[in-house]
Amino acid sequence: MYIGQAIRRREDERFLRGRGRFVEDITLDQPIAHAAFVRSPHAHAAVTHVDTTQAASMPGVLAVLTGADWTSAGHGEAEGVWPVKDMSGADSRTAYRPLICVDGVVRCVGEIVAMVVAEDRHQALDAAEAIEVDYEEKPANTITARALDPDTPLVHPAFGTNEVMVTEHGLKAETEAALANAHHVTEVVVPTNRVTAASMEPRAYLGHYDRVNDRYTVWTTNQAPHIVRRYFTKSLHIPEHKLRVIAPDVGGGFGMKLYHYPEEALVLWGAIECDRPVRWVGTRSECLLGDTHARDHHTVGRMGFDENGKILGVKFETLAAFGAYESQWQASITNAYHFTMLSCAYDIPAIHTTVRAVYTNATPVDAYRGAGRPEAVYQVERMIENGAQEMGIDPLELRARNLIPPEKFPYQTALGITYDSGDPPVLMAKTKALADYDALRAEQARLRAEGQWMGIGVAAFFDMAGAGPVKMMNDLGAKVGCYDVASVRVHPDGRITVFAGSHSHGQGHETTWSQIAADRLGCDIDHIDLVEGDTDRVPMGIGTWGSRSLSTAGMAVYTAADRVVAKAKRMAAHMMECAPEDLDLADGEFTVKGTDRKLSFAAVANASYHSGDRPADLEIGLEETSFFDPADCTYPSAVHLCVVLVDPETCAVTLRDYWAVDDVGTVINPMVLHGQVHGGLVQGIGQALMEECAYDAESGQYLSGTFMDYAIPHAEDVPAFGLDSYFTRALGNPLGAKGAGESGTIGAPACICNGVIDALWHLGVRQITQPMTPRKIWRAIEDAKRAQH
Amino acid sequence: MDGVSVTFTVNGRGVTATVDPRTLLVHFLREHLKLTGTHIGCDTSQCGACTVHLDGKPAKSCALLAVQLEGAEVTTIEGIAGPDGMHPMQAAFKEHHGLQCGFCTPGMVMMGIDIANRHEAPDEVTIRSELEGNLCRCTGYHNIVASIAAGAKVSRAHARDASG
Repeated sequence: MYIGQAIRRREDERFLRGRGRFVEDITLDQPIAHAAFVRSPHAHAAVTHVDTTQAASMPGVLAVLTGADWTSAGHGEAEGVWPVKDMSGADSRTAYRPLICVDGVVRCVGEIVAMVVAEDRHQALDAAEAIEVDYEEKPANTITARALDPDTPLVHPAFGTNEVMVTEHGLKAETEAALANAHHVTEVVVPTNRVTAASMEPRAYLGHYDRVNDRYTVWTTNQAPHIVRRYFTKSLHIPEHKLRVIAPDVGGGFGMKLYHYPEEALVLWGAIECDRPVRWVGTRSECLLGDTHARDHHTVGRMGFDENGKILGVKFETLAAFGAYESQWQASITNAYHFTMLSCAYDIPAIHTTVRAVYTNATPVDAYRGAGRPEAVYQVERMIENGAQEMGIDPLELRARNLIPPEKFPYQTALGITYDSGDPPVLMAKTKALADYDALRAEQARLRAEGQWMGIGVAAFFDMAGAGPVKMMNDLGAKVGCYDVASVRVHPDGRITVFAGSHSHGQGHETTWSQIAADRLGCDIDHIDLVEGDTDRVPMGIGTWGSRSLSTAGMAVYTAADRVVAKAKRMAAHMMECAPEDLDLADGEFTVKGTDRKLSFAAVANASYHSGDRPADLEIGLEETSFFDPADCTYPSAVHLCVVLVDPETCAVTLRDYWAVDDVGTVINPMVLHGQVHGGLVQGIGQALMEECAYDAESGQYLSGTFMDYAIPHAEDVPAFGLDSYFTRALGNPLGAKGAGESGTIGAPACICNGVIDALWHLGVRQITQPMTPRKIWRAIEDAKRAQH
Repeated sequence: MDGVSVTFTVNGRGVTATVDPRTLLVHFLREHLKLTGTHIGCDTSQCGACTVHLDGKPAKSCALLAVQLEGAEVTTIEGIAGPDGMHPMQAAFKEHHGLQCGFCTPGMVMMGIDIANRHEAPDEVTIRSELEGNLCRCTGYHNIVASIAAGAKVSRAHARDASG
């Protein structure tokens, strides 16, 4: 059995030898031209004049293209994959992110106004600088909390408001009653900071048009190439059968590389116009500005408890930033992944949430690892922490009193979502033991007596992973079917190629999908190759996002492999003159049960293609495809616990210890699982302590344009992690597997913020917004001191 | 373009080229020599994806001009494996799952080799501190630290065997 083993990754050697093939590494027979973009330097402005004359005549310049050219060519827009749906049924105020400015107004810094295509990178950049654009600045707002204030400038005046839509979920009357009757009510303002994925590989695209065969090809840093192909039908109106989308090695995605970005459409447009392959590789500044941003919720929450600390009800009111435009998957956050997770791991009888999505003059917001769930867990867990501290109940004990007990599974939350399986009390008990919680509390008391500030943070939560099923996700707003696809092709020599509609950009599918296939096919893992990321080779796919690949594409591999085995058994039974059900398949051989009669899988594969002696109703060949629509989402759960030390002199936070106990169902490869959790944790740590996409409040200028300004964690900012796991079986797929990609990012911000508040509670500090920088911590302590005088 | 001639060594092979003076070493490696294992992740020498060895010491190839390298010896990720297989540091990254997407990996391995060269048996604190110039967004560093510690141990043993 390969499933469950820490098989070392089959993809590693090419990366370790410097032989990865990323979009920037692709070479073609024709020389590749370079694109450069002119971007708005203003947060909001009318574009009154664009003069390209000088640029067009500069050395090496092949084309200068503007929004006027885009419009006259009849091109379209990046339509929503998961568009806004207002729960009231009213029309939403949709303004999709423009691929190039076409209406004479730019609404955030970085919006593309013009493109230059030139022979080399330097010529393209020089010419882009020579394009003269006249702007007439307009008032702008980049602050989410201010978006609906009466004097706030409108991002889209035609809508008459900055509100995109309002959604409400849960039990309104019951929640109001619970809060009215509560023994204790905690209220916290919990904004979630605006961050961005900052994958180490910048976004990059290469477009090519083969005029002879009338075929288009795009190489893209994308997580879902078939979805890209679908949305080129809307942007450049290219029929799907004419376009090949290749996502080769991709250097991290985290949700951010899921979209049909402006530069992706524009390089192919440039390639068509210039009759030359055209490439753009983002600079880090272009990426920190133009990659989708994430989170940016402003939430006020109220949680009511009875005298024993049992949660009676919780109410949330949230402003959710869209940025200047609606990005393609934006509403997957507001309409599917945020509200559904507001019960976390707790048995809460009444929950009500109102979300107002708003436009601001900032980069569009879309899904980034966790997508709505880190916000939800932060919102819930911050209130539980403050409630416990206010009521004088040990924070772990108060949580334990509220965890969903195992006998309540499947558990339907007050928001209508049903968690299929889990055992939060066991996760909590294991975490407590792993961390030696009682000893930590004793240490905390000792250090506090010495004037040292130590805090213990906790978070317990569920995740909704593994989108679909198709129907459920359609109902939540998805315009793409959330299934996935795999083909298992057995070659005549018995070796196997698996084609999957997922895309690996760090997840290790070449290893894990092969583990699944090898177990189902009873073969050596080295007899299997995996193909992903090419719409001409893989029949169909919805891609890798939302911790979905294992429970969709992985299960398609499983199912297709089983179909191959069923067919091969019929051929083998014919050859061995027995019944198919009498055959076992293992170690590359069919064996007649209870005998020593054997036939190799390779011999059966060969006969399947080349022998005329076969069952009359058995088709030639040995290849099967599965379009796998899961029976349910998966609901992974986890408990996190951390220790922070806050330096009383500098207010700097040291994250000393971090433990996480995850329930991700059946584990395919524990090494890969732990790697996923580690990586997610550090992104969550970054959100809690250092990352922020910052704008100047007055001018709307972007202040986080380099890695000197946008702080992602370094190795010495984070500790080694203590991980453990516990297993309850997912009910929606045959392996019982749950998603594992986002747990770290979902839990860490809440856990760390609770730790810092725990460290400073005795000083009167009740809340500090993320990222909790030394300056903000110092300010909170000073404010608390003043409030006490 | 007024080209400037420059001669240096890359992965043990002599290279002479006439380059545009503004050509960065990383672009020269990637575009002229087609050594695409060295990556560009940030443009401001924060991320270390472009780390190579220059005369035996780590250097960020995005912060060097090709014309500065007259007479220098440059080693890239493509130049460290031996005829019998991967360098011990490369093997350690595979064994300890020190990479996920693979983009920062060449820089991490080049830095890891340098850490091993300068420290007898680097501990976790040393390794984390030494990685201040290298960013990774996938692994959370946990397994990179483990990989470098293990790679350093094996490299040290190889060095002992070679000298003993």
